[in-house]
Amino acid sequence: MRLLIATSIAVLSSFILNSTHALADKGLEIAMEVIERDQGWGDSSSKMTMVLKDKYGQSTQRSLRNSSLEGSSQGDKSLVIFDTPGDVRGTAFLSHTKKTGSDDQWLYLPALKRVKRIASSNKAGPFMGSEFSFEDIASQEIEKYTYKYLREEKYNGVDCFVVQYDPVDRKSGYSVQETWVDKSKYIVLKTEYYDRKKSLLKTLTFDGYKKYKGKFWRADTFIMINHQTGKETELQYENWVFGTGLSEKDFNKNMLKRVK
Amino acid sequence: MMLRFASLLFTGLIAAQTATADGELNAKLIADFRSYPNSNAGTIVSGQSLELNIDAYQDFGAARGVLELVARIDDQDSGRRILEARQAYISTEIGGFEVYLGNRQEFWGKAESTNIVDVVNQQDAAADQGGAGKLGAPSVSIERYADYGDLQFWYMPNFRELTFNDADAHPSGELPVKAARYQRSEGRNADDFAFRFSTVVDDWDLAGSLFYGTARTPILSVVDMGTALEPYYAEQRSIGLEAQYTGDATLLKWESLHGKQDGKDFFAAVAGLENTLHGVLDQVWDLGLIAEAQYDGRPQAAAERFYVAGLRLTLNDAKDTSLLLLTSQDEAKDQSLISFDASRRLNSWSSINFGAKFFDAKTTTSVFGFLDDDDTISVKLNMFF
Repeated sequence: MRLLIATSIAVLSSFILNSTHALADKGLEIAMEVIERDQGWGDSSSKMTMVLKDKYGQSTQRSLRNSSLEGSSQGDKSLVIFDTPGDVRGTAFLSHTKKTGSDDQWLYLPALKRVKRIASSNKAGPFMGSEFSFEDIASQEIEKYTYKYLREEKYNGVDCFVVQYDPVDRKSGYSVQETWVDKSKYIVLKTEYYDRKKSLLKTLTFDGYKKYKGKFWRADTFIMINHQTGKETELQYENWVFGTGLSEKDFNKNMLKRVK
Repeated sequence: MMLRFASLLFTGLIAAQTATADGELNAKLIADFRSYPNSNAGTIVSGQSLELNIDAYQDFGAARGVLELVARIDDQDSGRRILEARQAYISTEIGGFEVYLGNRQEFWGKAESTNIVDVVNQQDAAADQGGAGKLGAPSVSIERYADYGDLQFWYMPNFRELTFNDADAHPSGELPVKAARYQRSEGRNADDFAFRFSTVVDDWDLAGSLFYGTARTPILSVVDMGTALEPYYAEQRSIGLEAQYTGDATLLKWESLHGKQDGKDFFAAVAGLENTLHGVLDQVWDLGLIAEAQYDGRPQAAAERFYVAGLRLTLNDAKDTSLLLLTSQDEAKDQSLISFDASRRLNSWSSINFGAKFFDAKTTTSVFGFLDDDDTISVKLNMFF
């Protein structure tokens, strides 16, 4: 009898373990497929308008330019240049994403002509006072999360996989993220972010996806709603251009002082 | 002067509205109101200035022209009045080298409280704008960005002298400043050279530099039976070293400069630590803790050793509100300085700064003793066009 119980526990626990593995594997597969289908974009640039809304509906705007370089062995590199408001005009933010460990980040302060390496521990902190944190705008590398497949669900009439992304880095501001992935296109339509206390913190939705170069889907509107503060940030992208001939050199920290 | 300034302002503002595809022109207007609560009798108690910055660039095929013009008028202090091309250069790439010709502004260094290795530009000290107040260095400079690091070479054929406030303005030694003396016989026309190599190795940003030329900061002496100040610019040969370690939340910083000035060996260094706490008081605020130790064996230094402690609070709000408090104290606990800066955006085209600086010294003949009446409270309104 004792043997039977022991055996059943063993069978049961291996079944639970296997199914946990299966869910993890399926989650990872979906996340990898999302990244796989977007490979080969090379480099891109776009213009972005950031609209910050407080809980009273008052809004402020900032405009910036964005360029990125796809990484192979390392993560992607990206450069953000601010055009408005006036007091941050010419400020530039350079990020070299790492697949594991902390990203390298530099800030260019035009009044001082100073390129400053900054600590990247602020990943949970807000990017330019918006509802997007540094980790939300960083490039999504597969190694930065562990995954779990949750369920299938329709979102806005589109069949989706719902996958849980669990950040590896303990300095992440999130306990988990739940991501709705379009089953046919393998593009992310919605992400829900849960804070460290496991309460729903923010929801990010993507809208206006367009296909570029016959392969790469880019949304033109990102809306991040913070449920705990009632604030909202909308990113409106335009002028997506791919293959503009950018190279590693354009993402060197010394180029920051030459950006205009 | 006023008329010239007004016409410059008008032209700048009109031009700022026009931007072409391969060029851009922006302008900034700064209204600065200052009060000197501790001023000695016979010195000014307040002052106002208006500064126009024009910032433009234009691409001409493979070359780029950059212009940054500063025009400042002041109702009290002629030392603060200036028409200055902080940058006015042409740059182009020749065989993998970036070549620059004209006035340029460059920053070297890692520390927060002072940057002893930042030798390229002269300071527009009278403007009292910290690191942003520099004079353009007339120069030919060449840069190369390579995988192993970045190289810069500077040739500077024309020396720029430090700017001084009027004797009755602040900060000042309340004495008129005489014409400068130079150690090098060519004076202002002596050639200066600088070279720097910088690189990034994982979490370390490292740089080494060489300088041969005229020291940027003059040695000041009281002359003519105590009725005037005379700046003396010595010859300097130096090696600068810089390092910054960037940890998760902690930065370690080092700057050192050693060599010969006025024929004598000298050494100066700054070691610093900066740690940032995120999400303080359950807000999205960041609190930076800054600690730096300065050593400077040169005669220009107010004291050999200073200890600096500071707090930087960044609210990360839509208005980019930030506050910086720095305190500085010499080893003998004789001279001290407390400074406070706060800035906040008002709207898409304006922002405001509040600044305060308080000097204190027990010994009246020390450098801070001279600056004791130069405590300043300032409000700056910045407008962007």
